[in-house]
Amino acid sequence: MSLEGKLALVTGSGRGIGRAIALKLASQGADIIVDYFRHRESAEQTAKDIEALGVKAEVIRANVGDAAKIDELFDMIGNKFGHLDILINNAASGVGRPLADIDVKAWEWTMNINARALLLCAQRAAKLMEGRGGKVVSISSLGSRFVLPNYTVVGVSKAALEALTRYLAIELAPRGICVNAVAASAVETEALKFYFKEGLAKDTRQATPAGRMVTPEDVANVVAFLCSEEAFMIRGQIIVIDGGTSIGLLALAGKGEQ
Amino acid sequence: MNIEEQIRDILARITRVDKNIITRESTFKEIKADSLDVVQALVAVEETFGIEIPDEEAQKFQNFGDFVSFVENRVAQKERV
Repeated sequence: MSLEGKLALVTGSGRGIGRAIALKLASQGADIIVDYFRHRESAEQTAKDIEALGVKAEVIRANVGDAAKIDELFDMIGNKFGHLDILINNAASGVGRPLADIDVKAWEWTMNINARALLLCAQRAAKLMEGRGGKVVSISSLGSRFVLPNYTVVGVSKAALEALTRYLAIELAPRGICVNAVAASAVETEALKFYFKEGLAKDTRQATPAGRMVTPEDVANVVAFLCSEEAFMIRGQIIVIDGGTSIGLLALAGKGEQ
Repeated sequence: MNIEEQIRDILARITRVDKNIITRESTFKEIKADSLDVVQALVAVEETFGIEIPDEEAQKFQNFGDFVSFVENRVAQKERV
């Protein structure tokens, strides 16, 4: 699988899953636009590591929760490069609160970054993919379909993201644009440490038939496949990356031991 | 309005607290600013003053005074350039 000569925008690629995806696509020859919002140093480090792989990296700051910033981001890509081959809609945020404490501000913040950004970025990206086709891959989570503690607003935003993925897949198919998403269980990242209490990693490992937590590289490998020509006929799908957690209900309930 | 007053206004608007209770010694917790409030305040301050406040720096703020001092320094640096 080669992505040589392709240009990819990976939103939120300073750290965690986005960084792993950026490096994976770069290792296959793609030039990368590293978008970040809050962690400049991490984004610059990601760019250095991408360049060390022999491809180009461009660092841009844009909060994808802000429609005007998305416009600025794509104006820059249009002016500087004139095209785009791959959009990885990875940037995410959220407010981990019980249902009763979710206010309008928390709802809008989370929905705008996690769900609306896909709509706005895909609209702009599709124009830059005109006549050449392209790939759009989003990062969802198992919280779109399963109930996780204090995850309501993020889970709902990911459900919206998945529905939007299906609609975009059909509408953009005639233009040669493949749209898909991946949904992972808890992934070992800085964000996980920030949002969830200590025990989650241990609980997740125990509930995973494959015996370990999902890593950012596990997610990056599947995303890279979805960006390849080999995945051309996969459209509007949400590929689950969870080591069997979501189908291993007995393991989840602690009753799966022989 | 000086920098401190502008930041106090922004923070009070986001957290919906009376701006008069925000002193340089106030912690974010004392003014009932949760992590989302803090991020929104950082973004609003960045846009107001045309500076960038990376999370790595913001995490070091112990109180409102640290926040103000950081912004004052960044604005002064920007004006020197």
